[in-house]
Amino acid sequence: MLLGLQLAGVSSKGMTIQERKSAVKLSADVAMAGARGSTNWTRALIANLSKQERNKAILRCILGKDYEKLTKPCQYHSWKNPRSKQILRRSVIRVCSRKRNVLRAPATSVLAKVLVKKRTQVLKSLLPGGESLYGFYLLDETLDYVISLRVQVDLMQRLLKASETSNLG
Amino acid sequence: MSSRRSRITEEEINELISKLQSILPETRRRGTSRASASKLLKETCNYIKSLHREVDDLSDRLSDLLATMDTNSPHAEIVRSLLRS
Repeated sequence: MLLGLQLAGVSSKGMTIQERKSAVKLSADVAMAGARGSTNWTRALIANLSKQERNKAILRCILGKDYEKLTKPCQYHSWKNPRSKQILRRSVIRVCSRKRNVLRAPATSVLAKVLVKKRTQVLKSLLPGGESLYGFYLLDETLDYVISLRVQVDLMQRLLKASETSNLG
Repeated sequence: MSSRRSRITEEEINELISKLQSILPETRRRGTSRASASKLLKETCNYIKSLHREVDDLSDRLSDLLATMDTNSPHAEIVRSLLRS
């Protein structure tokens, strides 16, 4: 991540606050994706970042060989299972109502379905590359992404702390 | 995670759900047997949003700090070595 920061020229005086912040975020995201390797969300993240020409050079520099790997089209989800979403929903409802053993009124279950659908859409919009996934794969990617995000936050906190203490010293 | 399976088993789904529940801060506190699908999704979305906000905030603070730091200084060296360990 530090390489990214250097390449983006973060310490140059000529940068505006916005530019510097974008550079920091870019470095953090690239580091996160690079460390994780090839998954649907990392590829989507890199693809999004690459849309801006000026980022491409930095990305290539930081990721090296991995850049090619992460931008190559991939057949990972070529056998998407459309049934998995129903299986997933059924088993989640079963998991939670097993203990309660309550007969659900029809209106409640319709509402539940609508809520699930709506919230799934929100999740898809939050997850890089989430639009094309559903069911099991969506949750699987989500889990992976959340874990990586936590690592990213942890890393940035440490970097911040280290910089703050070294600046004082 | 690239082994080809012809079907996803219910066991795998349950495992995934419980892993997700164990990471989310809210559901972890309340115990694992009570989350419904929509609640789980809501918690997940909220958690991701809060993590995004945190990254955003940390980016702000880091960029403020880096504005005053020269990357060739001994400070940068210390930071680099701390990150390597």
